[in-house]
Amino acid sequence: MRKMYVVNDTVTGVFSGIYDAWKEERTIENAGILIRGQIEQELFCEYFEVEESQHKAVAVERLIQKHMGYDTYWDIYHACLADDSGKGTAVWGVMQSAKTVKDSRKIMEHLSNPAVAKVFELSRAVANEAHIFKEFVRFKELESGILISKIAPKAQILTCIAEHFANRLPLENWMICDKTHQMFLVHEARKQWILVHDSKVDMEKIEQYSCAENEYQILWKSFVESLAIKERKNLGLQRQHAPIYRRTYMVEFS
Amino acid sequence: MRIQESMSMYEKLNILSDAAKYDVACTSSGVDRQNDGTGIGNCQKSGICHTFTSDGRCVSLLKILFTNECIFDCKYCINRSSNDVVRTSFTPDEVCKLTIEFYRRNYIEGLFLSSGILKSPNYTMELIYASLYKLRYECNFQGYIHVKAIPGADEELIRRVGFLADRMSVNLELPTAESLRMLAPHKNRKNILTPMRLVQNKMAENRQEIVQYKNAPRFVPAGQSTQMIIGATPESDYQIINVAESLYQKFGLKRVFYSAFVHVNEDKALPAKTNEGPPLLREHRLYQADWLLRYYGFQAKELLSEKNPNFNVLFDPKCNWALQHLEMFPVEANRADYHTLLRVPGIGYKSASRIVKARRFGVLDFADLKKMGVVLKRALYFLTCNGKMMYPVKIEEDYITKNLLSTKEKLPDHIRNMNYQQISLFDDVKFRTENISMGGGM
Repeated sequence: MRKMYVVNDTVTGVFSGIYDAWKEERTIENAGILIRGQIEQELFCEYFEVEESQHKAVAVERLIQKHMGYDTYWDIYHACLADDSGKGTAVWGVMQSAKTVKDSRKIMEHLSNPAVAKVFELSRAVANEAHIFKEFVRFKELESGILISKIAPKAQILTCIAEHFANRLPLENWMICDKTHQMFLVHEARKQWILVHDSKVDMEKIEQYSCAENEYQILWKSFVESLAIKERKNLGLQRQHAPIYRRTYMVEFS
Repeated sequence: MRIQESMSMYEKLNILSDAAKYDVACTSSGVDRQNDGTGIGNCQKSGICHTFTSDGRCVSLLKILFTNECIFDCKYCINRSSNDVVRTSFTPDEVCKLTIEFYRRNYIEGLFLSSGILKSPNYTMELIYASLYKLRYECNFQGYIHVKAIPGADEELIRRVGFLADRMSVNLELPTAESLRMLAPHKNRKNILTPMRLVQNKMAENRQEIVQYKNAPRFVPAGQSTQMIIGATPESDYQIINVAESLYQKFGLKRVFYSAFVHVNEDKALPAKTNEGPPLLREHRLYQADWLLRYYGFQAKELLSEKNPNFNVLFDPKCNWALQHLEMFPVEANRADYHTLLRVPGIGYKSASRIVKARRFGVLDFADLKKMGVVLKRALYFLTCNGKMMYPVKIEEDYITKNLLSTKEKLPDHIRNMNYQQISLFDDVKFRTENISMGGGM
């Protein structure tokens, strides 16, 4: 009977599911990885709740990096962050298919394999979304000088943009809040960034902005306005690049 | 005409960003640099756009003029000396403060600093140098800086600025020397090409230095670019892309930008004002051709010729080329080499390389191509998979033209509805100086 491994919607969760399935020597046909909360019940399947652990995730991470190479790992990791209920099964499919091809490190080039195509598509979508938030994150300065940003991405992209901002603003205290997944990326000046899950954050403190903040917001808005050439006005093109649903937390559109 | 000293930052920024908006070269690409842990900022090779203005153009850099006071009188320019506009200047301190505060809020990728000519080219270049020096060494800013080299400034000054900037550009302004003489009386071709050559030579020298001493300072690491105004003078597209091609080949430019002429001044040397607006489609076609030159292995003479000097308004240059070379199509997706695939409409350089990799492991069909990002509605007339076309189609120019037109990109209304236009005696849309000068021998 097909066994479905039910996991949490995190990279650790998906990797733990793969660990269990791998241990039990399942194949593509008789196993699947499902995300808790996004399950459509099927007949002739048994459902199994996976116990999530760091140890399992690290083991799978090593397995992928060692046998399939870092580039494949990069794709799989990004696919695991996607907002898609089929991602676990697709990653499982890629790992099983990699055993059957001559060079497992080139598995991501087998785009005619449906699992590979799916992981490729998800990884591309997540990486693109991460890039968008390198663009659209807007920091606001609090009275204490800390920079705060709120975003609402579809995928869990915080870890994809962390290194970028940590490298860019090493001497600043900053924090990015992912409103969709209740996750926080926190960076203290001169230190490593950390990822915090659904902790209690005092939202009131976050709303107390510095006096200069408002001034710079006004400067920025008027700058963006005065850069537009009215003879070339093209709101459709603007929406294509900066869709309205992305504008919620952007200073110049508020 | 001096303006009161006490203008607020808000007013200054409004005036000097408004004055800089016609500069198009606002990208932040071409250099990868990590922060060394002591300052602010880094650079990413792909470049990052931070927002989009209501004309759909990206805002990547804090694009400002240092000053809009200018001793030159270029006919097309809003800041020409004969125009009566409010004049103001930033101080180096203000430029630094704005850049850093915008940067830490992730509004911008860096600074784009251009300037009117205040007093003399050297004087202006020194002010620019002072601003950049302060930004790099006092504020320890490690983000992207794009700076304009002022034509006519001293070699030594340009050299020093080049070590602070990531990209430098000298505007070619107009495609031919003759147009330049007509519309920009204070500029000449030689003054523009000299700093361009200088930057090119210095970059080559710098590459040698970096090989020998790994930590040698980088000179203009993101390369140099330039821009041309399109539609203010009667050059054909053929002339323009030839100029662009020779700039890429002979001056090693990273980018050539095209800027559709926007009517800001009334002047008898400029084309008559029409209701058409700036020639945006023409600019778009030139950019498409520019990409074909840089990434797709096309040459200017393949795309256009003396006899056929302008781009087809209905088709992009690659489609147009393919329609005229139907004898080379269809090509087989499973066998054609990379360079042949690049010439198929609907296949970009990324999907071409994906095809080349994926077909090593299996035979591809049209569904696979679609997943790889090939635009089938355009490619299907020019491709076979495994010896078969996607649908039974005729390889015949009229037939393909008709079908492509029904699925094509969105064209402006006056081109899409070309058949239904009311003819009027006085606002003929084609009534431009280029036509007059042909007829009247101006």
